Amino acid sequence: MTAAMTISKEKRQAKTVSTLIYIFLVLLAIIYIVPLLWVLITSLKDDSTLMLSPWAMPAALEWGNYEFAWTKGHLGTAMLNSLIVCSITLVVSMLFGSMAAFAIAKLRWKLSKLAMYYFLIGMMIPIHTILIPLFVQFSGWKMSNTLIGIIIPYITFSLPITIYIMVGFFEGIPNELFEAACIDGCSVYKMFGTVAIPLAKTGFMVTGLMSFVSNWNELLLAMVFISDEAKKTLPVSLTKFVGPYHTNYCQMFAAIMIAIIPTIIAYVAFANQIVEGLTAGAVKG
Amino acid sequence: MDKLMRNKKAIILFIAPALILFTAVLFVPVCKAVYYSFCNYKLPGNAKFLGFEGMKFLKNYKQLLTKDQTMRIAFRNSMFFMIFSIVTQLIFGLFLAALLTNIRKGRNLFKNIYYLPCVLSSAALGLLWMFVFTPRLGINQMLASLGKWGGDCTLGPQWLFNTEGYIILPIWVVSFVALWQYVGQSMMLYMAQISGISSDVYEASYIDGCSKKQSFFYITLPLIKPMVATAMSLNAIGSLKFFDLIYNMLPEGFLSHKADVIATHLYTSAFKFRKLGYGSAIGVILLILCLIMTVIINKFVKTENYDM
Repeated sequence: MTAAMTISKEKRQAKTVSTLIYIFLVLLAIIYIVPLLWVLITSLKDDSTLMLSPWAMPAALEWGNYEFAWTKGHLGTAMLNSLIVCSITLVVSMLFGSMAAFAIAKLRWKLSKLAMYYFLIGMMIPIHTILIPLFVQFSGWKMSNTLIGIIIPYITFSLPITIYIMVGFFEGIPNELFEAACIDGCSVYKMFGTVAIPLAKTGFMVTGLMSFVSNWNELLLAMVFISDEAKKTLPVSLTKFVGPYHTNYCQMFAAIMIAIIPTIIAYVAFANQIVEGLTAGAVKG
Repeated sequence: MDKLMRNKKAIILFIAPALILFTAVLFVPVCKAVYYSFCNYKLPGNAKFLGFEGMKFLKNYKQLLTKDQTMRIAFRNSMFFMIFSIVTQLIFGLFLAALLTNIRKGRNLFKNIYYLPCVLSSAALGLLWMFVFTPRLGINQMLASLGKWGGDCTLGPQWLFNTEGYIILPIWVVSFVALWQYVGQSMMLYMAQISGISSDVYEASYIDGCSKKQSFFYITLPLIKPMVATAMSLNAIGSLKFFDLIYNMLPEGFLSHKADVIATHLYTSAFKFRKLGYGSAIGVILLILCLIMTVIINKFVKTENYDM
């Protein structure tokens, strides 16, 4: 009798605890989602109603805000620029990175460990430190106001983490597979293309995600290197929406929406892969 | 096979592109930054080495470390940021990870929600929070419409403009926003590590009469120590480099440099006032700080690897 009572008491306690946990988690989730919803709602209002009544839902949907941000705010061009920059960076950094990783992980040479350390040091160098020398150098080469001028540093900064993660994946491929390929008469280049790359697909996914997300959001370098309105990337164009004297908040919110909607859509579609992939990358980093 | 893998030409071909790019765009510029930091270099003009006699080449550093008021504030703010984010991310990240690994339903959903801001542009989120904390709008306006401060929102706290105190209010606000944005990252790191702990260990502890609390402190915590070091150094370096949120949340000039951090000070010195040599010195100091923090954290959070 008493034993049964204590068990049921314990069960009840466990239930209260788990209810409390859920309440806490839901409240926290609200703190995460409400600001984003607020952006969405406000981006459809017009500035005068915003000042008068913060709570009101938009009376008429002001799509004009989006139109303004997209054309007058140059977000359309900025989005295109960001896409170009990030895609080229992604492809080149994955190619160069995986090649170097293959050389470090599978090819046999004396300095391979040293090369690995050399790349790893790169992960600790903040982009701020090389900002000034790069700016001077690229201005000298007349590259400071071009997309290629930010693509090159982006590729370089994606390399260390790409190499680090890909080395891990290539080392995981058993040597027997390469031996078999060797017996079949494969050259090293063919081994890389037909054995190593297909077997490290997950690695490409992880590194690709990491480099795309960080380059898509990068602000400082793009802001310093590019002053031409037609070549600005998304984060840089966004900063222009805050004026020191007058800011139209609804247009600014429309701009924020335009900037984050692609990321949110991609995130909702692939949330689990993205979260897992980015964490896997960070763990190794 | 062995001969094939020792093919010199192939090795060079595979490693060269990355190595050349890395050296030319990362390593050489770092050396150049060190050189510029010993120079008198203002635009327009060229870099002029300050000379060896009388330790003249350290002039930028001397100025920076002893005379520059803004640098003092920036350093203080950056240090505050770093300590704040290391401590809060450790506590909240672990706490969330512990909660989420203990619930059955909806774990993925909550995890994904808390991680979302990590992938969003901090430039965009900075603008959003700037609005939320604008004195006449956002939070103040909402609270006022609920009757606080007699309905007058201008009486509310000046979240982003109050410059009183040792660590001024705007810095606190930005710190909390940064916590909001990045705590998901720490949480995920800890969760990944916790899920790697074999359930046998926990079962054994329950048989020995461990409570859930005890098993957290005596099993989970010691076993995720390596990850604590990783997450802490990521946080430390991340918060030293902190730029986007500050730049977008706190409009330049209004706070007369009281809310500067090292990165924003570098940006204004080098690209607003065109003092490239001086900016390079700040960059070098930032680099040194990052290296020191990584070494310290990895020394003090000793990682013992247990077999799991």
